[in-house]
Amino acid sequence: MAVTRRNILKNATARTQYIAGVKALKQEDSGQTTGNFGIPGPSIMISTYDLFVIWHQRTMMTMTPPNNPSGRNAAHRGPVFHPWHRVMLMILESNLQRVLNDATLGLPYWDWAADGNNTPAKQKKSALWKKTCMGGSGDPVTIGPFAFKASDPASWRVRVEADVAGNLFSANRGLRRTLGAGTPSLPKKVHVDHALDLTPYDKVDWDASETEAFRNRAEGWNPEDPLAQHWMHNRVHVWIGGDMSPGTSPNDPVFFLNHCNVDRIWESWLSQNGRTYVPGNSAGAFLKGHRIDDPIASPLGGTMTPRQVLDVSATYVYDALP
Amino acid sequence: MKSPHLADAASPKKLATYLLKLPKPSMHMHGGKAESVREADYKGHHIAIRTTYQVSVDGRVLNVPLGVDNRGNVHCHSLPNYQFTSAVDMVKQLIASFPGQFGGGKRGGGHGGRHGGMHMGMPNRARRAGRKGRK
Repeated sequence: MAVTRRNILKNATARTQYIAGVKALKQEDSGQTTGNFGIPGPSIMISTYDLFVIWHQRTMMTMTPPNNPSGRNAAHRGPVFHPWHRVMLMILESNLQRVLNDATLGLPYWDWAADGNNTPAKQKKSALWKKTCMGGSGDPVTIGPFAFKASDPASWRVRVEADVAGNLFSANRGLRRTLGAGTPSLPKKVHVDHALDLTPYDKVDWDASETEAFRNRAEGWNPEDPLAQHWMHNRVHVWIGGDMSPGTSPNDPVFFLNHCNVDRIWESWLSQNGRTYVPGNSAGAFLKGHRIDDPIASPLGGTMTPRQVLDVSATYVYDALP
Repeated sequence: MKSPHLADAASPKKLATYLLKLPKPSMHMHGGKAESVREADYKGHHIAIRTTYQVSVDGRVLNVPLGVDNRGNVHCHSLPNYQFTSAVDMVKQLIASFPGQFGGGKRGGGHGGRHGGMHMGMPNRARRAGRKGRK
Protein backbone atom coordinates (compact mmCIF):
# COMPACT_ATOMS: atom_id res chain seq x y z
CA MET A 1 0.00 0.00 0.00
CA ALA A 2 1.25 3.46 -0.86
CA VAL A 3 2.33 5.74 1.97
CA THR A 4 1.42 9.43 2.07
CA ARG A 5 4.06 12.13 2.18
CA ARG A 6 2.95 15.15 4.20
CA ASN A 7 3.91 18.75 4.91
CA ILE A 8 6.30 18.74 7.88
CA LEU A 9 4.93 22.06 9.12
CA LYS A 10 1.33 20.86 9.08
CA ASN A 11 1.65 17.36 10.47
CA ALA A 12 3.16 16.83 13.91
CA THR A 13 3.33 13.06 13.52
CA ALA A 14 5.29 13.28 10.27
CA ARG A 15 7.66 15.76 11.92
CA THR A 16 8.22 13.66 15.04
CA GLN A 17 8.73 10.47 13.04
CA TYR A 18 11.17 12.06 10.62
CA ILE A 19 13.33 13.50 13.39
CA ALA A 20 13.30 10.23 15.33
CA GLY A 21 14.01 8.24 12.19
CA VAL A 22 17.02 10.18 10.91
CA LYS A 23 18.49 10.31 14.42
CA ALA A 24 18.12 6.53 14.69
CA LEU A 25 19.78 6.03 11.29
CA LYS A 26 22.59 8.35 12.39
CA GLN A 27 23.27 6.09 15.37
CA GLU A 28 22.90 2.82 13.47
CA ASP A 29 26.20 1.10 12.59
CA SER A 30 26.23 0.25 8.88
CA GLY A 31 28.99 -2.28 9.51
CA GLN A 32 31.49 -0.10 7.64
CA THR A 33 34.20 2.33 8.69
CA THR A 34 35.67 5.35 6.96
CA GLY A 35 38.77 3.22 6.42
CA ASN A 36 36.77 0.76 4.31
CA PHE A 37 35.90 3.62 1.97
CA GLY A 38 39.47 4.89 1.83
CA ILE A 39 38.42 8.06 3.65
CA PRO A 40 41.47 9.61 5.36
CA GLY A 41 41.53 10.65 8.97
CA PRO A 42 40.81 8.55 12.06
CA SER A 43 38.89 5.42 11.05
CA ILE A 44 35.41 5.76 12.51
CA MET A 45 32.10 3.98 12.22
CA ILE A 46 29.95 4.84 9.22
CA SER A 47 26.31 5.05 10.17
CA THR A 48 23.48 4.12 7.86
CA TYR A 49 22.67 7.83 7.58
CA ASP A 50 26.25 8.63 6.58
CA LEU A 51 26.01 6.17 3.70
CA PHE A 52 23.60 8.64 2.08
CA VAL A 53 26.16 11.42 2.46
CA ILE A 54 28.81 9.29 0.72
CA TRP A 55 26.33 8.17 -1.95
CA HIS A 56 25.39 11.74 -2.88
CA GLN A 57 28.99 12.95 -2.94
CA ARG A 58 30.31 10.03 -4.99
CA THR A 59 27.47 10.25 -7.50
CA MET A 60 27.97 13.98 -7.86
CA MET A 61 31.64 13.39 -8.64
CA THR A 62 30.78 10.84 -11.37
CA MET A 63 30.76 12.77 -14.62
CA THR A 64 28.41 11.57 -17.38
CA PRO A 65 30.21 11.20 -19.70
CA PRO A 66 33.66 11.49 -18.08
CA ASN A 67 35.22 14.96 -18.39
CA ASN A 68 32.22 16.52 -20.12
CA PRO A 69 32.67 20.30 -20.07
CA SER A 70 29.10 20.92 -18.85
CA GLY A 71 29.82 19.24 -15.54
CA ARG A 72 26.84 16.93 -16.06
CA ASN A 73 27.05 14.15 -13.48
CA ALA A 74 25.10 11.04 -12.57
CA ALA A 75 22.64 13.03 -10.42
CA HIS A 76 22.85 16.73 -11.32
CA ARG A 77 23.09 19.23 -14.16
CA GLY A 78 21.22 16.89 -16.48
CA PRO A 79 17.88 15.11 -17.07
CA VAL A 80 18.43 12.40 -14.45
CA PHE A 81 18.37 15.01 -11.66
CA HIS A 82 14.75 14.25 -10.71
CA PRO A 83 14.81 10.43 -11.15
CA TRP A 84 18.08 9.98 -9.23
CA HIS A 85 16.90 11.99 -6.25
CA ARG A 86 13.53 10.20 -6.34
CA VAL A 87 15.33 6.88 -5.93
CA MET A 88 17.50 8.26 -3.15
CA LEU A 89 14.41 9.48 -1.26
CA MET A 90 12.65 6.13 -1.66
CA ILE A 91 15.66 4.32 -0.25
CA LEU A 92 15.87 6.68 2.71
CA GLU A 93 12.12 6.35 3.27
CA SER A 94 12.45 2.56 3.29
CA ASN A 95 15.19 2.83 5.92
CA LEU A 96 13.08 5.16 8.06
CA GLN A 97 10.22 2.65 7.89
CA ARG A 98 12.57 -0.16 8.90
CA VAL A 99 14.32 1.62 11.76
CA LEU A 100 11.02 2.86 13.25
CA ASN A 101 9.19 -0.36 12.40
CA ASP A 102 6.38 1.56 10.74
CA ALA A 103 5.54 0.61 7.15
CA THR A 104 3.09 3.51 6.93
CA LEU A 105 5.74 6.18 7.42
CA GLY A 106 5.99 8.67 4.59
CA LEU A 107 8.88 11.08 4.15
CA PRO A 108 7.75 14.65 4.92
CA TYR A 109 8.39 17.62 2.66
CA TRP A 110 9.13 21.27 3.35
CA ASP A 111 7.01 23.55 1.16
CA TRP A 112 9.72 26.20 0.99
CA ALA A 113 7.74 28.31 -1.46
CA ALA A 114 5.12 28.89 1.24
CA ASP A 115 7.86 30.36 3.44
CA GLY A 116 9.25 32.15 0.38
CA ASN A 117 6.04 34.16 0.12
CA ASN A 118 6.93 35.79 3.45
CA THR A 119 9.43 38.61 3.93
CA PRO A 120 13.11 37.58 4.13
CA ALA A 121 13.11 38.33 7.87
CA LYS A 122 10.09 36.10 8.43
CA GLN A 123 11.57 33.31 6.32
CA LYS A 124 14.38 32.88 8.84
CA LYS A 125 11.78 32.71 11.62
CA SER A 126 9.72 29.98 9.97
CA ALA A 127 8.46 27.20 12.23
CA LEU A 128 10.89 24.91 10.39
CA TRP A 129 13.83 26.53 12.18
CA LYS A 130 12.37 26.37 15.68
CA LYS A 131 13.85 24.05 18.28
CA THR A 132 10.75 21.86 17.99
CA CYS A 133 11.50 21.18 14.33
CA MET A 134 14.86 21.33 12.51
CA GLY A 135 16.64 23.83 14.78
CA GLY A 136 18.22 27.09 13.73
CA SER A 137 21.25 28.67 12.13
CA GLY A 138 24.85 28.64 13.38
CA ASP A 139 28.28 27.05 13.41
CA PRO A 140 27.43 24.78 15.01
CA VAL A 141 23.65 24.65 15.20
CA THR A 142 22.90 24.87 18.93
CA ILE A 143 19.14 24.45 19.23
CA GLY A 144 16.73 21.70 18.30
CA PRO A 145 17.12 17.99 17.67
CA PHE A 146 20.28 18.41 15.56
CA ALA A 147 22.12 20.70 17.96
CA PHE A 148 25.76 19.96 18.72
CA LYS A 149 26.68 19.19 22.30
CA ALA A 150 30.39 18.51 22.77
CA SER A 151 29.75 16.42 25.88
CA ASP A 152 27.10 14.26 24.22
CA PRO A 153 28.45 11.80 21.64
CA ALA A 154 24.88 11.03 20.60
CA SER A 155 24.25 14.63 19.55
CA TRP A 156 24.13 15.21 15.80
CA ARG A 157 27.63 15.21 14.34
CA VAL A 158 29.02 15.59 10.86
CA ARG A 159 31.26 12.53 10.47
CA VAL A 160 32.11 12.69 6.78
CA GLU A 161 32.80 15.87 4.83
CA ALA A 162 34.63 16.89 1.67
CA ASP A 163 37.49 19.22 0.88
CA VAL A 164 37.48 21.70 -2.01
CA ALA A 165 38.78 19.00 -4.34
CA GLY A 166 35.82 16.79 -3.51
CA ASN A 167 37.86 14.31 -1.46
CA LEU A 168 36.03 12.90 1.54
CA PHE A 169 37.61 12.97 4.99
CA SER A 170 36.38 12.02 8.43
CA ALA A 171 35.15 14.71 10.80
CA ASN A 172 33.63 15.12 14.22
CA ARG A 173 31.85 18.43 14.48
CA GLY A 174 28.42 20.02 14.68
CA LEU A 175 26.11 20.91 11.83
CA ARG A 176 26.54 24.29 10.11
CA ARG A 177 23.83 26.54 8.70
CA THR A 178 23.94 30.16 7.58
CA LEU A 179 20.28 30.88 6.88
CA GLY A 180 19.80 33.72 4.41
CA ALA A 181 23.51 34.58 4.08
CA GLY A 182 24.12 33.13 0.63
CA THR A 183 20.99 34.57 -0.96
CA PRO A 184 18.40 36.74 0.78
CA SER A 185 15.19 34.85 0.09
CA LEU A 186 13.61 31.52 -0.77
CA PRO A 187 11.72 30.83 -4.01
CA LYS A 188 8.07 31.92 -4.03
CA LYS A 189 4.93 30.03 -5.00
CA VAL A 190 4.67 31.97 -8.25
CA HIS A 191 8.11 30.65 -9.20
CA VAL A 192 6.88 27.09 -8.69
CA ASP A 193 3.81 27.86 -10.82
CA HIS A 194 5.96 29.25 -13.61
CA ALA A 195 8.25 26.20 -13.51
CA LEU A 196 5.22 23.94 -13.83
CA ASP A 197 4.12 25.87 -16.92
CA LEU A 198 7.29 24.82 -18.74
CA THR A 199 7.33 21.99 -21.25
CA PRO A 200 9.07 19.82 -22.31
CA TYR A 201 10.71 18.13 -19.36
CA ASP A 202 14.21 18.86 -20.68
CA LYS A 203 15.89 19.70 -23.97
CA VAL A 204 19.16 20.48 -25.77
CA ASP A 205 21.77 21.06 -24.43
CA TRP A 206 20.63 18.76 -21.58
CA ASP A 207 22.82 20.56 -19.07
CA ALA A 208 22.92 23.55 -16.73
CA SER A 209 22.44 26.15 -19.43
CA GLU A 210 19.63 28.67 -19.75
CA THR A 211 17.27 26.51 -21.82
CA GLU A 212 13.57 26.89 -21.09
CA ALA A 213 12.61 23.47 -19.76
CA PHE A 214 11.11 22.17 -16.54
CA ARG A 215 14.11 20.25 -15.23
CA ASN A 216 16.52 23.08 -15.78
CA ARG A 217 14.22 25.60 -14.08
CA ALA A 218 13.38 23.31 -11.14
CA GLU A 219 16.99 22.33 -10.54
CA GLY A 220 17.81 26.02 -10.59
CA TRP A 221 20.01 26.80 -13.59
CA ASN A 222 17.45 28.83 -15.50
CA PRO A 223 16.28 31.68 -13.24
CA GLU A 224 13.22 33.52 -14.48
CA ASP A 225 14.79 36.61 -12.88
CA PRO A 226 17.91 37.29 -14.99
CA LEU A 227 19.53 39.06 -12.05
CA ALA A 228 19.20 36.03 -9.76
CA GLN A 229 22.18 33.70 -9.48
CA HIS A 230 20.34 30.84 -7.84
CA TRP A 231 16.84 29.51 -8.38
CA MET A 232 14.41 26.92 -7.05
CA HIS A 233 16.24 23.81 -5.71
CA ASN A 234 19.70 25.40 -5.93
CA ARG A 235 18.46 28.54 -4.22
CA VAL A 236 17.17 26.55 -1.25
CA HIS A 237 20.58 24.91 -0.81
CA VAL A 238 22.32 28.29 -1.07
CA TRP A 239 19.83 30.04 1.25
CA ILE A 240 20.39 27.44 4.00
CA GLY A 241 24.17 27.45 3.37
CA GLY A 242 26.71 25.77 5.65
CA ASP A 243 26.58 22.02 5.22
CA MET A 244 23.91 22.37 2.52
CA SER A 245 26.50 23.89 0.13
CA PRO A 246 29.02 21.11 -0.69
CA GLY A 247 28.32 17.75 -2.28
CA THR A 248 28.02 16.28 1.20
CA SER A 249 24.79 18.26 1.69
CA PRO A 250 22.80 15.25 3.01
CA ASN A 251 24.76 15.90 6.22
CA ASP A 252 21.90 18.29 7.00
CA PRO A 253 18.58 16.41 7.41
CA VAL A 254 16.87 19.40 5.77
CA PHE A 255 18.42 18.11 2.53
CA PHE A 256 15.74 15.41 2.32
CA LEU A 257 12.92 17.84 3.16
CA ASN A 258 14.07 20.10 0.32
CA HIS A 259 14.34 17.25 -2.13
CA CYS A 260 11.03 15.77 -1.10
CA ASN A 261 9.46 19.11 -2.04
CA VAL A 262 11.37 19.17 -5.34
CA ASP A 263 10.06 15.64 -5.97
CA ARG A 264 6.54 16.83 -5.15
CA ILE A 265 6.89 19.59 -7.74
CA TRP A 266 8.10 17.04 -10.31
CA GLU A 267 5.15 14.79 -9.41
CA SER A 268 2.84 17.71 -10.14
CA TRP A 269 4.56 18.28 -13.49
CA LEU A 270 4.30 14.57 -14.33
CA SER A 271 0.60 14.50 -13.50
CA GLN A 272 0.01 17.42 -15.87
CA ASN A 273 2.21 16.17 -18.69
CA GLY A 274 1.38 12.52 -19.25
CA ARG A 275 4.28 11.17 -17.16
CA THR A 276 6.72 11.83 -19.98
CA TYR A 277 10.51 11.95 -19.87
CA VAL A 278 13.27 12.84 -22.28
CA PRO A 279 15.79 11.99 -23.62
CA GLY A 280 14.81 8.65 -25.08
CA ASN A 281 17.30 5.87 -25.56
CA SER A 282 17.96 6.89 -29.16
CA ALA A 283 19.86 9.90 -27.82
CA GLY A 284 23.62 9.79 -28.26
CA ALA A 285 26.10 8.12 -25.95
CA PHE A 286 27.04 11.54 -24.59
CA LEU A 287 23.78 11.33 -22.63
CA LYS A 288 24.45 7.87 -21.22
CA GLY A 289 23.19 7.78 -17.65
CA HIS A 290 20.40 10.28 -18.41
CA ARG A 291 18.32 8.45 -21.04
CA ILE A 292 14.96 6.96 -20.16
CA ASP A 293 16.15 3.34 -19.98
CA ASP A 294 19.64 3.94 -18.60
CA PRO A 295 20.31 2.53 -15.12
CA ILE A 296 20.13 5.12 -12.35
CA ALA A 297 23.29 5.18 -10.20
CA SER A 298 21.89 3.29 -7.20
CA PRO A 299 22.03 -0.04 -5.38
CA LEU A 300 19.00 -1.09 -7.44
CA GLY A 301 21.30 -1.57 -10.42
CA GLY A 302 20.07 -1.95 -13.98
CA THR A 303 16.48 -2.55 -12.96
CA MET A 304 16.03 1.04 -11.87
CA THR A 305 15.75 3.55 -14.72
CA PRO A 306 14.01 6.91 -15.17
CA ARG A 307 11.13 5.07 -16.86
CA GLN A 308 10.62 2.98 -13.71
CA VAL A 309 10.05 6.03 -11.51
CA LEU A 310 7.65 8.03 -13.67
CA ASP A 311 4.70 6.47 -11.84
CA VAL A 312 5.39 5.76 -8.16
CA SER A 313 1.75 5.73 -7.05
CA ALA A 314 2.13 2.16 -5.76
CA THR A 315 4.88 3.31 -3.39
CA TYR A 316 3.86 6.80 -2.24
CA VAL A 317 1.56 9.73 -2.92
CA TYR A 318 1.60 13.36 -1.73
CA ASP A 319 -1.14 14.84 0.41
CA ALA A 320 -1.22 17.86 -1.90
CA LEU A 321 0.46 18.92 -5.12
CA PRO A 322 1.40 22.48 -6.05
CA MET B 1 8.32 -0.71 -8.09
CA LYS B 2 7.46 -3.54 -5.73
CA SER B 3 8.16 -2.81 -2.08
CA PRO B 4 10.14 -6.01 -1.27
CA HIS B 5 12.60 -5.20 -4.07
CA LEU B 6 13.01 -1.66 -2.77
CA ALA B 7 13.36 -2.76 0.86
CA ASP B 8 16.02 -5.30 -0.09
CA ALA B 9 18.06 -2.79 -2.10
CA ALA B 10 17.64 -0.21 0.66
CA SER B 11 19.30 -2.32 3.33
CA PRO B 12 22.45 -0.69 4.73
CA LYS B 13 24.46 -3.73 3.68
CA LYS B 14 23.32 -3.47 0.05
CA LEU B 15 23.87 0.29 -0.05
CA ALA B 16 27.34 -0.05 1.47
CA THR B 17 28.26 -2.85 -0.93
CA TYR B 18 27.15 -0.73 -3.85
CA LEU B 19 29.18 2.26 -2.64
CA LEU B 20 32.30 0.20 -1.97
CA LYS B 21 32.27 -1.07 -5.56
CA LEU B 22 32.06 2.38 -7.14
CA PRO B 23 35.18 3.39 -9.07
CA LYS B 24 37.13 6.23 -7.53
CA PRO B 25 36.03 9.46 -9.25
CA SER B 26 38.44 10.91 -11.79
CA MET B 27 38.29 14.68 -12.09
CA HIS B 28 40.80 15.03 -14.92
CA MET B 29 43.22 16.95 -12.72
CA HIS B 30 46.98 16.81 -12.83
CA GLY B 31 49.23 18.65 -10.39
CA GLY B 32 46.58 21.15 -9.35
CA LYS B 33 45.42 21.82 -12.93
CA ALA B 34 41.80 21.33 -13.91
CA GLU B 35 41.21 20.98 -17.59
CA SER B 36 38.05 21.11 -19.69
CA VAL B 37 37.56 20.89 -23.44
CA ARG B 38 34.66 22.65 -25.12
CA GLU B 39 33.75 21.42 -28.58
CA ALA B 40 31.29 22.65 -31.18
CA ASP B 41 30.63 22.35 -34.90
CA TYR B 42 30.06 25.44 -37.00
CA LYS B 43 29.69 25.74 -40.79
CA GLY B 44 31.47 22.46 -41.34
CA HIS B 45 34.28 23.28 -38.93
CA HIS B 46 35.04 21.57 -35.66
CA ILE B 47 35.97 23.85 -32.77
CA ALA B 48 37.85 22.58 -29.70
CA ILE B 49 38.82 24.92 -26.89
CA ARG B 50 40.98 23.51 -24.11
CA THR B 51 40.85 25.49 -20.86
CA THR B 52 43.14 24.85 -17.92
CA TYR B 53 42.59 26.37 -14.49
CA GLN B 54 45.45 26.45 -12.02
CA VAL B 55 44.27 28.08 -8.83
CA SER B 56 46.26 29.16 -5.82
CA VAL B 57 45.03 30.75 -2.61
CA ASP B 58 47.54 32.50 -0.34
CA GLY B 59 50.26 31.13 -2.59
CA ARG B 60 49.20 27.51 -2.20
CA VAL B 61 48.15 25.54 -5.24
CA LEU B 62 44.61 24.27 -4.89
CA ASN B 63 43.32 21.03 -6.38
CA VAL B 64 39.89 22.23 -7.34
CA PRO B 65 37.74 20.63 -10.04
CA LEU B 66 36.71 23.71 -12.01
CA GLY B 67 35.20 23.47 -15.47
CA VAL B 68 33.74 25.84 -18.02
CA ASP B 69 30.79 25.06 -20.30
CA ASN B 70 30.03 26.22 -23.83
CA ARG B 71 28.32 29.38 -22.56
CA GLY B 72 31.33 30.34 -20.48
CA ASN B 73 29.78 29.48 -17.12
CA VAL B 74 32.27 28.23 -14.56
CA HIS B 75 31.20 25.31 -12.40
CA CYS B 76 32.89 23.30 -9.67
CA HIS B 77 32.05 19.75 -8.67
CA SER B 78 32.72 20.61 -5.04
CA LEU B 79 29.85 23.14 -5.03
CA PRO B 80 27.05 21.49 -6.97
CA ASN B 81 24.49 24.29 -6.57
CA TYR B 82 26.60 27.16 -7.88
CA GLN B 83 27.89 28.42 -11.18
CA PHE B 84 29.42 31.78 -12.04
CA THR B 85 30.56 33.72 -15.08
CA SER B 86 33.85 34.31 -13.25
CA ALA B 87 36.31 31.75 -11.88
CA VAL B 88 37.35 34.37 -9.32
CA ASP B 89 33.79 34.43 -7.95
CA MET B 90 33.79 30.65 -7.78
CA VAL B 91 37.02 30.57 -5.75
CA LYS B 92 35.60 33.26 -3.43
CA GLN B 93 32.59 31.00 -2.92
CA LEU B 94 34.85 28.02 -2.21
CA ILE B 95 36.59 30.04 0.51
CA ALA B 96 33.20 30.99 1.97
CA SER B 97 31.79 27.45 1.77
CA PHE B 98 34.81 25.57 3.17
CA PRO B 99 35.64 27.75 6.17
CA GLY B 100 37.84 25.16 7.86
CA GLN B 101 40.16 24.66 4.91
CA PHE B 102 41.74 28.01 4.16
CA GLY B 103 43.10 29.30 7.44
CA GLY B 104 42.46 32.84 8.61
CA GLY B 105 43.71 34.77 5.59
CA LYS B 106 46.52 37.34 5.58
CA ARG B 107 44.66 40.39 4.34
CA GLY B 108 41.53 40.35 6.49
CA GLY B 109 37.96 39.73 5.43
CA GLY B 110 38.44 35.97 5.28
CA HIS B 111 36.72 33.23 7.19
CA GLY B 112 38.41 31.85 10.26
CA GLY B 113 39.84 28.38 9.88
CA ARG B 114 40.67 25.75 12.41
CA HIS B 115 42.57 23.22 10.38
CA GLY B 116 45.27 25.40 8.88
CA GLY B 117 44.89 24.07 5.34
CA MET B 118 45.06 20.40 6.34
CA HIS B 119 42.42 19.54 3.77
CA MET B 120 42.85 22.17 1.12
CA GLY B 121 42.75 19.60 -1.64
CA MET B 122 46.36 20.43 -2.41
CA PRO B 123 48.57 18.11 -4.43
CA ASN B 124 50.85 16.10 -2.14
CA ARG B 125 53.97 17.87 -3.37
CA ALA B 126 52.48 21.28 -2.68
CA ARG B 127 51.22 20.13 0.71
CA ARG B 128 54.70 18.98 1.68
CA ALA B 129 56.16 22.24 0.43
CA GLY B 130 53.57 24.12 2.49
CA ARG B 131 54.63 22.28 5.63
CA LYS B 132 58.27 23.08 4.99
CA GLY B 133 57.43 26.72 4.49
CA ARG B 134 55.88 27.00 7.93
CA LYS B 135 58.96 25.80 9.78
